[in-house]
Amino acid sequence: MRAYELIRETYFRRSYIWIAHLTWLLMYGVYWWSIVPTKTETTGKFILFGSGLFLALTLSAGILGDDIASGRICVLVTKPFWTGKLYLFRWIGLSLQAAVHLLLTGVLLSVLDWLTPRNSIDGIGVWLLASWLLFNTVAALSTSLSVVLGRAFNSLLLLVVFIAGYLLVNILIGLLRGEAGAGWLTAFVRYAWPPFELLRKFAEGEYGPYSLTVGRFSLSKSVACVVHSLILTCVYGAVGMSLLCRRQFSRVRD
Amino acid sequence: MQMKDKINIWIVVAAAAVAEIWALYVVSASAARWQPTMIVENEPQARALYEAMLEAARRAQTLSYRSICSGPDSEPSACTVRLKKPNLVRVDLTNGMSTKVTTVLADGDRFRIFWSSDRPFLKVDDFARYEQTQSNVYVDMACSPDIDVLSEMTRLGVAWSNLIWSPRLFFGGADEFEPYIDGIRLRGGNEIHGEACDVIEVSYVKAQRMRHYWLSREDHLPRRIKEIVRLADNHVVVEEWWRVEIDSSIPNEQFAWSPPEGYRVWNPPSLDEFLLEPGTEAPGFELSSASGNTIRLADFQGRVVWLCIWRVGSPACRDEVRYLQSLHGKAKDKGLVILGVNVADDRRIAQTFLRDEGITFPCVLDSSKEAASLLVEGYGVKFDSPPVGFVIGADGKVVDAWSGFDENHARALAALHAAGVSDLGG
Repeated sequence: MRAYELIRETYFRRSYIWIAHLTWLLMYGVYWWSIVPTKTETTGKFILFGSGLFLALTLSAGILGDDIASGRICVLVTKPFWTGKLYLFRWIGLSLQAAVHLLLTGVLLSVLDWLTPRNSIDGIGVWLLASWLLFNTVAALSTSLSVVLGRAFNSLLLLVVFIAGYLLVNILIGLLRGEAGAGWLTAFVRYAWPPFELLRKFAEGEYGPYSLTVGRFSLSKSVACVVHSLILTCVYGAVGMSLLCRRQFSRVRD
Repeated sequence: MQMKDKINIWIVVAAAAVAEIWALYVVSASAARWQPTMIVENEPQARALYEAMLEAARRAQTLSYRSICSGPDSEPSACTVRLKKPNLVRVDLTNGMSTKVTTVLADGDRFRIFWSSDRPFLKVDDFARYEQTQSNVYVDMACSPDIDVLSEMTRLGVAWSNLIWSPRLFFGGADEFEPYIDGIRLRGGNEIHGEACDVIEVSYVKAQRMRHYWLSREDHLPRRIKEIVRLADNHVVVEEWWRVEIDSSIPNEQFAWSPPEGYRVWNPPSLDEFLLEPGTEAPGFELSSASGNTIRLADFQGRVVWLCIWRVGSPACRDEVRYLQSLHGKAKDKGLVILGVNVADDRRIAQTFLRDEGITFPCVLDSSKEAASLLVEGYGVKFDSPPVGFVIGADGKVVDAWSGFDENHARALAALHAAGVSDLGG
């Protein structure tokens, strides 16, 4: 029962959550109508970053930090309740929200395509799956940060880190071109950070101008991408749960 | 926590670690490192698309397109290519942000290059010569009707990022790697600039060179070509096409040019001019061999050495290496040592080539910076023009040095004769 309550709470904990979902769906609708006829990959990338990254940051803002800051966490983690479950059910709540959101996105695009077949949605399902996997990873990272950062600073920090980090890493890779350091940096960003690049390739295939291969991912490579993404989510989650279980909470408001 | 729970947790962690290692292995076992499995097998449908590209090019009377060639490590070159049968070629190109236009013309009789202002510093230049020849010059050479314009442009280093698609295909010929195609396969469909394309992958020389063609479903001509050459590092060049026009009217005047008054012909230097001169002491070296041992030039002191610098991906080098192997058996008794030197290729690719060809003469396989600088600074191999041969006498001095492949090996045999080795046969 408690699990259900904790999951359900993620849908209603802030009033903007429903507004965010509707805004995002509206945005996809406007995108469909306003952008010049485009291919699935372009729409897919828009959803991958729209839902996989920005929606995840929006929905997970203060997911645990709000309760920690308000002191409500002490009520939520009363014995006999393993504190880690609080993390787990909140994250499951976010993941379920994303699943529903992406299903609705798929339905919306299908309806729009049926009404006005101006853009392509062939193979959009893989993009929605990739977006959900990315959402889960980003949400896990953000939820873990929420254990140590109060209120909505978890999402804010991640947003800044993603934008600044993207610029910084690109500059560094450019400066270190040809050096071993560039390879290590690329590998770190590719495999230790949320797998933007891998999931994009998982959905799109490798058609990048300078990639060393070309074509859709093989089945084994696709499975490997999904496995890596899920394991990364688990690792971020495990770190967050571990931090949450070690914290001492007080009823006093921060 | 009970012991049983702890064990279960560790089992889950271990399983996850194994799964992650597998996942990382699969996603990172990218094409960065050459593997024999990269050699492509022929798919009839893909082969048909490739043939359709050749046919579309051969059927056209004129072909013009704009292209941008670029690579992750090189500045882009922008070109306008105009081709007209029977043998007219015009390429106007600019490099990087420069507005200086280099124009290449060929008409089956003359091959010319001229510039819109002073010519840029080219791969074949050294500073002293460049200062004397940078202004009011043009290149003018006699050429055969089937001249490979791209090879000439590449040799001189006219484009910072080389073109991939050879104009010879338009004139019914083949590019130099055509005989080395391993296979062609289809890699799905993709769009380039809103145009639907079939993507095919062509593997050459046992996947040492790969090309990916995005072929328009309308006219079967490329819209993007990507070439990956696997040397010690991977080199990627992409050529993007747009404004492709087939059988449009191109006046013959566009292929004609007369030098303005005061202009003079500039003959670009050949590689031979930079190589060690006869009578010079050959610099010693200590480099890794194909078998992993060390090869020292000093080990062959007192014997005549035919040192051949080669690369797997060069058709001429492959022929030269095969010839040297045929000589190797006879050479032992004549006091001649055949020594191959490869400082360019991926070790596995070079070893595979040596094994497949049954090459038994000693061969340096060393892609270190030291090895490359030894060739450039020590032996004067200033730019790529393989194969390069040196005959080093028993006294350690260079008898003769040359670049390129000669079917008769006249120069090499003459140098060996001068060094005291004869009766080797053809």
